[in-house]
Amino acid sequence: MQQSNRLRPFFENITFDRADNEMILNFGPQHPSAHGQLRLMLHMQQEQITKAHPDIGYLHRGMEKMAENMIYNEFMPTTDRMDYIASSSNNYGFALAVEKLIGLDVPRRAKVIRMMLLETNRLMSHLFWLATTALDIGAMTVFLFAFREREYLMDLIEDYCGARLTHSAVRIGGVPLDLPDNFIPDLRKFLDKLPENIKDYEDLLDSNRIWLMRMENVGVISTEMALSWGCSGVMLRASGVEWDIRKEEPYELYDEVEFSVPVSDKGDNYARYKLYMAEMRESSKILYQVLDMYEGTQPALMAHAPQYISAPKLDIMTQNYSLMQHFVLVTQGMRPPVGEVYIPTESPKGELGYYINSQGDAYPYRLKLRAPSFWHTGILTDLLPGHYIPDVVSIIGTTNIVFGEVDR
Amino acid sequence: MAQHQVNYLKDGGLPVALTTIDKVVNWGRSNSLWALTYGLACCGIEMMASGASRYDFDRFGTIFRASPRQAELMVVAGTLTKKHAEFIRRLYDQMTEPKWVISMGSCANTGGMFNTYATVQGVDRVIPVDLYLPGCAPRPETLQYGVMLLQQKIRRESASRAQKPKRLM
Amino acid sequence: MRAYTPKDNVQKKPYYTDRYWVAPQVAKHEVSSDAVFARDLEAISAKFTVLEAYIQVDQMVVIINAEDNFGVIELMKNSLEYNQLSELSAIDWLAAEGKFEIFYQMLSMSKRKRVRIKCKIDEKESIQSVEKLFRSADWSEREMYDMFGIVINNHPFMKRILMPDDWEGFPLRKTYPLQGDEFASWYEVDKIFGKEAREIIGPENRDPARVDRYDTERFARLGHEVPRGADISQGEPDTPLVYQESEGVFLIEKFDAEKSVVISDRDR
Repeated sequence: MQQSNRLRPFFENITFDRADNEMILNFGPQHPSAHGQLRLMLHMQQEQITKAHPDIGYLHRGMEKMAENMIYNEFMPTTDRMDYIASSSNNYGFALAVEKLIGLDVPRRAKVIRMMLLETNRLMSHLFWLATTALDIGAMTVFLFAFREREYLMDLIEDYCGARLTHSAVRIGGVPLDLPDNFIPDLRKFLDKLPENIKDYEDLLDSNRIWLMRMENVGVISTEMALSWGCSGVMLRASGVEWDIRKEEPYELYDEVEFSVPVSDKGDNYARYKLYMAEMRESSKILYQVLDMYEGTQPALMAHAPQYISAPKLDIMTQNYSLMQHFVLVTQGMRPPVGEVYIPTESPKGELGYYINSQGDAYPYRLKLRAPSFWHTGILTDLLPGHYIPDVVSIIGTTNIVFGEVDR
Repeated sequence: MAQHQVNYLKDGGLPVALTTIDKVVNWGRSNSLWALTYGLACCGIEMMASGASRYDFDRFGTIFRASPRQAELMVVAGTLTKKHAEFIRRLYDQMTEPKWVISMGSCANTGGMFNTYATVQGVDRVIPVDLYLPGCAPRPETLQYGVMLLQQKIRRESASRAQKPKRLM
Repeated sequence: MRAYTPKDNVQKKPYYTDRYWVAPQVAKHEVSSDAVFARDLEAISAKFTVLEAYIQVDQMVVIINAEDNFGVIELMKNSLEYNQLSELSAIDWLAAEGKFEIFYQMLSMSKRKRVRIKCKIDEKESIQSVEKLFRSADWSEREMYDMFGIVINNHPFMKRILMPDDWEGFPLRKTYPLQGDEFASWYEVDKIFGKEAREIIGPENRDPARVDRYDTERFARLGHEVPRGADISQGEPDTPLVYQESEGVFLIEKFDAEKSVVISDRDR
């Protein structure tokens, strides 16, 4: 028996009896170039947008509530699903926040491996950004090229942690595994070829008339606007503010590697595109230096803090007390000290911060995820008015928003 | 991967003998499954990857379409939230018959790890599902295997049969 | 007798408690230990009452009265060079002291310092919007309203942002259960099919470990497939192992490994 449902066509919810010429256009929440579940209510005067209301929350899964009901280690796989294009950077941000809360120091080899993961994730994320943005604007070839390179990086990550997308490759207190044998030569092989690949993309796009028309002087964000809206990462640097958390408030080994922070003062789509390309080059520069650092580090991978971190597997299997501690840590969870901490890291999208309020329990009392894309979506409210319909797609593309992160 | 003949597909109220017309129509249908891009979350990225250069979905005849009116397969890739539920139903209703649904990933199957207030506990509460793919996120190979299974299912159906409601329509 | 579970805080509790456990504290340092922070605090306390101030994990925490929030942030933005409001949200302390705690996470790019301004309000109290100073507060305050039900004064567009407009309850309050209340559990069914369809669709399965061995509506055991909905309480028959479509498919050529070129090196 066919049962009808109560959904009626959407336009019945909007009144059309307006005196002026204004049209309301619903964009999303399932639009192929919205990079996820973004819904925009656009007020239009002919082709021009007069008012924009981004409507988010279509991927709100209640992660902050979940965190309050989970022990700290349990929450790690959930952070994967936030910015699912660069999972390890989320894992890392959370692990760093908890480490700062309990005051842990991570062994050097773990730091080196984390740096590798962070930078490969940045490359993956930027390649994905390039692929999807180019696809939205109509450059199918770039999409295929960039995905080809991304698959190679995914293979590398898969060699390391076994997952392609949701890595969970960082633990609180270190990393779970050492690098597999072929990781470093394979990564080096990839990096050797990367400049050629980036040049391929640039050859296809830089002088492409369509690309320039859709990118240049479209979506200009002024410095004041970017600061006021809490923009970070490339969105901020394209507007002329030289601010990279890796450089200004260095964490891990970023103070030991040499890299430059590309900045532009144009603030338009094209500037952001150029910065992403430049950042890929910088990432590969960092990766070369980190690869050299790996040699000569001690084999320890996890910090030694029996109160918070399980002992190595060998100890658990051979020593009774380590086994007991492991059992307590797994069943009841670690109990960090009472206090609160806000730790920002530079994820591929921007400033990714974790605010943790701990009351000395195994469960965080409050965990706030400061995801950069949230504000990069918010800025569309002020950015879109004055633009035309086709610009919407290219602006959404270059803001590089990921909805797992916006809605959490 | 399963290598058995999946009999429950065959016995689900299907006729035993298929005519040649059925075969021709089903050949056409099963080899040009146009999918609606329904990337909701992480699985959507794997869905894109399976359409991109390495996994190349086009060789199955599966091309992603942006409009529900051109699509006959809906790959629900990712977490379906309560706020989004009415839209998935609306888009499903807009698709033309015959239509099939693949629920890709744990979140779409059962809500997965997101056992919270905001998540629909399985898309089959809202739309009927033909195939459930396990994994978080399933690899592109899994999605392609799933589409191959669906093709088999279509080949075994009578072409003129209207789709029977599975749980709720 | 059933164990008593408090209704004002339904957050998960450890089922094992150690009576002798004394939780350690994250160290709080004097503000005077950092020259930049000390000057900032002086500027704030010259104009407003500062209830408490300390440095925790390299960031200064300043606790102020809730009615000063706009003034303090205005001062920090205009004269202390804190040019970004990177985060703003609330913490629910209703069960313990009947108050919400609101924190503003500020960043100064020229000084490379981060400061957290905190204040407390009562459950029914509202707070002044800082959207005029930082546009980023627009969305964060909406999120705070959505998640906690804290009403913001002078906000331009006070509507729910993450949850649907017709949602009931404020999810991040400690009284709200993780898996949602009655309203949440039927939300999509009520909206799409109507309340009368509740019986047809049935309640949500919230137990991730639930496996019904005899459910043939949704599951099939590999190698023991039966027609959908068949009764298997007496056990299923064995299905002989047959390869899929081994007789070939109409009009489709089978893949032949012999004739194909296998690329083992990706040439990279």
